[in-house]
Amino acid sequence: MHPLKFFNPAKLLPILLCLGLLSERVGAASLEGVVIDKAGKPVGDAIVYALPQKSVQSKSPPAATVDQIDKEFVNRVTPLQTGSAVNFPNLDDIRHHVYSFSPARTFELPLYTGSPAKPVIFDKAGEITLGCNIHDWMHGHIYVVDTPFFAKTGEDGKGKINLAPGEYEVYIWHPEMQGKPEENTQRVTVVDSGKVNFTIDRKRVWKIRRAPNPAEGGGYF
Amino acid sequence: MIFRFRRFRTRILFLFLGLLSLVQAASFYAVETANLRNAHQQIGESLETGARVFVRLVETRTRHLAESVRLLSSDFAFKSIVSTSDRASILAALVSYRQRSRADVIMVVSMAGDLLADTLHPDETALSQEIAKLISAAEEDEHGEAASLAFMEQQAYQMVVVPLLAPDPMAWIITGFLIDDRLARDLKRLTLADVSLLVAPAEGSQPPFASTLPVELQQPLRDKLSGSGWQPDKSFSLKPGGDEEYVTLVTSLGKSGTPVLAVLQQPIEEKLRPFHRLNRILLALSLVGLLFSLAGGVWIAHTVTRPIATLAQGVNRIERGEYGHTFHLPYRDEIGELASAFNHMSQGLAEKDRVRDLLGKVVSPAIAHELLNKGISLGGEERDVTILFSDIRGFTTLSESLPPTALLDLLNVYLTEMSAIVEMRGGVVDKYVGDAVMALFGAPLSHLDDADRAILAALDMLQVLENLNRKFKQQGLPPLDIGIGINTGRVVAGNMGSQNRLNYTVIGDEVNLASRLESLTKEKMYATKIIISAATLQAACGVYQTRHLGEVIVKGKTRRTEIFALMGTPTPLPKI
Repeated sequence: MHPLKFFNPAKLLPILLCLGLLSERVGAASLEGVVIDKAGKPVGDAIVYALPQKSVQSKSPPAATVDQIDKEFVNRVTPLQTGSAVNFPNLDDIRHHVYSFSPARTFELPLYTGSPAKPVIFDKAGEITLGCNIHDWMHGHIYVVDTPFFAKTGEDGKGKINLAPGEYEVYIWHPEMQGKPEENTQRVTVVDSGKVNFTIDRKRVWKIRRAPNPAEGGGYF
Repeated sequence: MIFRFRRFRTRILFLFLGLLSLVQAASFYAVETANLRNAHQQIGESLETGARVFVRLVETRTRHLAESVRLLSSDFAFKSIVSTSDRASILAALVSYRQRSRADVIMVVSMAGDLLADTLHPDETALSQEIAKLISAAEEDEHGEAASLAFMEQQAYQMVVVPLLAPDPMAWIITGFLIDDRLARDLKRLTLADVSLLVAPAEGSQPPFASTLPVELQQPLRDKLSGSGWQPDKSFSLKPGGDEEYVTLVTSLGKSGTPVLAVLQQPIEEKLRPFHRLNRILLALSLVGLLFSLAGGVWIAHTVTRPIATLAQGVNRIERGEYGHTFHLPYRDEIGELASAFNHMSQGLAEKDRVRDLLGKVVSPAIAHELLNKGISLGGEERDVTILFSDIRGFTTLSESLPPTALLDLLNVYLTEMSAIVEMRGGVVDKYVGDAVMALFGAPLSHLDDADRAILAALDMLQVLENLNRKFKQQGLPPLDIGIGINTGRVVAGNMGSQNRLNYTVIGDEVNLASRLESLTKEKMYATKIIISAATLQAACGVYQTRHLGEVIVKGKTRRTEIFALMGTPTPLPKI
């Protein structure tokens, strides 16, 4: 059945208004996630996301952008809802070759300047690690979740999610986190405002030297 | 240790040679030990350098390998292939890349620990322990890299592991090169030492897995190293098999993984050859030096002892009474001085001897002795002395009938005989007065029987004269006739004259009387050749045949003295 037959504009408006109100009422409560590591230090760039118990119809997520500025990805960590379209504008005056081998989205943007013509759609939940083929140290992360309710923690380790009151399963993810998000969930019922605390374990990460590095070279020990 | 040599020459020679050989031996020994120590040190140092080169070489190769595998790990195409997890494709890619890097093996292991591909074992799927250990080491590293020695199927590989970052760690890439005799030979060319690589004794006792030593020495080397007695990184001596001695240095390779020892060795004999040659030269020089020292010693001993021996002979001669012998020793040194002094001494002695002899001739030996010993001082002492005067009768007539030289000769013959008799009887000839002889019995030395001596001397004189006259007759010379007078009495005996010209004699009335008695023999009426005084007769102990002649008054005196003619002894005197 053609959707427009159901939703004739006159009838649609109040429904839309109601929905709009509902939407307002959707973001009425907030949930604060506080993330620290085993040493007690606040963890920034952590994604706190809440999966509602009752499925909520959400609109299509907005387009997102991951810039390349001064041979780095900006932002380093970008949370997205499934279905997001992401642009990768190259704001440097040199070419980059962006790629990812992550199972959630394997893609590559071979050597380009400026903005690629088409955005990349991320329609699978999971973590996507971005790299640049030329500049080995360029690291970026995109974390795709099946919910619109997510927040990224700042340097203080705190992130606020706006959501509707209800029951939620809250997850935590961080690029350097040990273990899977499913292992660390917390069920929270949010009425007005809520707080959820996470403690994560950092895993070992190896360093890649950012060039140019004047200390090396010459082939001498 | 002092040998007593009789000969001074041998002593000198022995001392000389002994000292010199000591010095030579000491210096030779010192140089030889210094040489040997030096040689060992040099070899040790060269081995230490060799070991450092060796370790660096392995590190460099490892580094190159790491660099090449890092390049591989950033290869986009490779990352794509690995991300597909298609084993066959991954293996094919590895085989291709192995050509590029000239590694002996490349493997890919997933982050979960699954062996995805292995160029050495294409069908293998299980991860070996060694590789797993290597990966664990890499996980701890800040860059996720590690290198170590790994043993796979009894072969040693230097392995390097790096993570494949895309950009998250996707897999491990492991590569390696084989360590075998080729590496050992390469290292031997660089370090000029025999190289052996073996697993540390604690881990096993197999022979070295890489070595430039001959095969028969490899297991003995392992066996020798299993024991203690060596320290790492310090050179020591080892005989891996047989007699050849090697200077050996052991150093350990690899900080992680299986402990492996690198053994560098150099045969010491080869290195010592120049030192041995030096030693031989030194020995030859020492011997030559010793020979020269011997010759020098002999020569010096000779030049010192020969003149001394000569002078010793001379001294012996002097001891025997042969004065006046001189030596011609043309040296300018102390020996020459000694010879010259000796010559002077000898000549001086000879002269003194001549003087003494002469003195003895001029005065009688007894007087000479008296003069020499008691010194020359004018003055005398009172003594009882028997004085004998003898005179040739008719000498003046005789002197007319003979030429002067013949006369002198005759006189000398006569006087020689007469003096001999006086001397023989223990008297002294005081003086000759022309043909007269004045003899003293009792001065300067006196005897108990001085009077008897004089009497006997007179009788001897007559006898000798008879012999002489017979000889003269044969020679056609006229015979001699003498008269003798003897008196005994108190006289003053001593040096008479001046300080520079004196005469030992006796003076006094008794002397005059003796002279007077002698002249009385001219008197035909006495008919005797010998007249003696009563005093003499009284003083004499023996019995003599005499004839009383009466009394005489000494001229100018008032005293009268009895005189006697001496005829002989009761028993005949022995013939002279």
